[in-house]
Amino acid sequence: MKLRSKLDAPVHKNLIYILPGLILYAAFVFGPIVSAVGISLTDWNGLGLPTWVGLQNYAGLFSDERFYLSLKNNAELMVFYCVLPLGLGIGLAAILWNMKPREQLMLRTMLFLPYIMPTAVLGIIWAWLYNPAFGPINQGLRLLGLGSLALPWLGDFTFVLPAVGLVATWYFFGFCMVIFMSGMQRLDPNLFDAARVDGATGLQTFRTVTLPLLLPEIRVVLLLTVIASIKSFDLIFTMTRGGPANATLVPNIYMYQLGFQLNRFGYAAAVAIIGAILIFTVNYAIHRLVRPADEGAN
Amino acid sequence: MSSQLNRTALPLRLTLWFFGLLTIFPFSLLLLTSVKSQPDLMRGAFVLPDYPHFENYLHAWIDGHFGVYFWNSIFVVVPVVVFSIVLGVLLAFGFAFLSFPGRKALFVVLTIGMMVPAEAFIIPLYYEMRYLGLTNTYAAVILPQIAQSMPFATIFLASAMQQLPDEILEAAILDGASRRHILWHVILPLMVPAMSTLALFLFIWTWNEFLIPLILVNDDAYRTLPLGMLFFQGRYTVNTPVLTAGAVIVIAPLVLAYLIFQRKFIAGLTAGAGK
Repeated sequence: MKLRSKLDAPVHKNLIYILPGLILYAAFVFGPIVSAVGISLTDWNGLGLPTWVGLQNYAGLFSDERFYLSLKNNAELMVFYCVLPLGLGIGLAAILWNMKPREQLMLRTMLFLPYIMPTAVLGIIWAWLYNPAFGPINQGLRLLGLGSLALPWLGDFTFVLPAVGLVATWYFFGFCMVIFMSGMQRLDPNLFDAARVDGATGLQTFRTVTLPLLLPEIRVVLLLTVIASIKSFDLIFTMTRGGPANATLVPNIYMYQLGFQLNRFGYAAAVAIIGAILIFTVNYAIHRLVRPADEGAN
Repeated sequence: MSSQLNRTALPLRLTLWFFGLLTIFPFSLLLLTSVKSQPDLMRGAFVLPDYPHFENYLHAWIDGHFGVYFWNSIFVVVPVVVFSIVLGVLLAFGFAFLSFPGRKALFVVLTIGMMVPAEAFIIPLYYEMRYLGLTNTYAAVILPQIAQSMPFATIFLASAMQQLPDEILEAAILDGASRRHILWHVILPLMVPAMSTLALFLFIWTWNEFLIPLILVNDDAYRTLPLGMLFFQGRYTVNTPVLTAGAVIVIAPLVLAYLIFQRKFIAGLTAGAGK
């Protein structure tokens, strides 16, 4: 506090420090966010003047079957974006944790690799891997004598969503594992000795000691993956563009189609705003619900 | 401790190695395919080529325009990283040590920008860029990404500045150094680790950005690598070896940066996660 008052100066001298960044932020992020809310209250084809329609776009979304479908697909994708990476990540971290440092480092390096990659490029790579005719996955299945399983993955109405979803799982599980590993390193080893003295089995210790203490990491992983699933665009755009027959349509793809293909910018902005509201809601809910025991009521 | 280290049973270790191989398998296949000829590929996805066809990289770089895309990515990433850090340091200094009206409200406004994805405001941003006459310029891709990194850069750097030892700053103040001098000659040298971690994150995020260049640029001459790859795929659907060579060009700098700075990267990531 003392320090702050000594570095401080009259306001007009302080502004030099904050204004450049804030002006840029206002011009290219915050201003557009506010405008997006405004556009979502209009009917606008992108050329003429927007006409004010109030909440009509939002009302329209309530009876829009394609919008419901995009939400349903998004909810199903959450299994692959959040549940599977979380489960795999925590399980693998529990194994990796006890391994020798060299082996641990090698495995961690490998498993984390997808997370640094551009998801758009991963989408293009996986679209090739999944290619029905010459894709390596189907070639591999045929080599193993499982030719009947060589499906047209991204063209199959039933399997396309899991096929895309598994790429997200593949992308996230190593990242989740690394977060859980760092959480486990934070834990007090004496706790585990105590549990062992009490005669708890490995699994019991994991469930009653490790898991509750990892709640902060579980919260972070849930936050990041749930938000990533609501934001999902790049991967689906490059793999399926929402198809076939809207089987992988998610809100952001729907927003893109409505805006940049059908020129219904008002309606598209409403879809985008609902997506942002969903992210805020989820953020709030996870902060509220997944709370470490020692953190009290805040 | 040593008794604990040996307790990992073989089946469990094998499980982990299975997942490890599963993770890098697509990348290995990518590398392999990038040095095959088309006839090699016809003989099977897992067949080794007679000799490595490095000319695929030349084709990708020249005919596939990956050379253009690569330099575009560099021209975008460098200014985004540099200006984000410079402006972020100034903002962080402001939020960490200075007073100004609406400080708390402005902080909330900044954090909103960290949560709202670009998809939510890409429509107004597109029209803003058209109005400013900036679509199909580097500025169209650079300016929004600097603006978008302001919240994270500010929060990240401000928390690092607040953790600096008070005594050092006190000493500088007692010496009668000017504020600007303290920021550039006392604080900044101590911030090098935090700034380099931030630079690494910003490099990866900007290199990987897809939506902003997808919407704000449609001239091939300004496309960055991920975009270039998408449009290359559209132009030459069947030339898989050259496509995979292009993919290697996109991800090689990332893998290099990751392998060199791995510890820094994971430490930075997990430090943020623990909070």
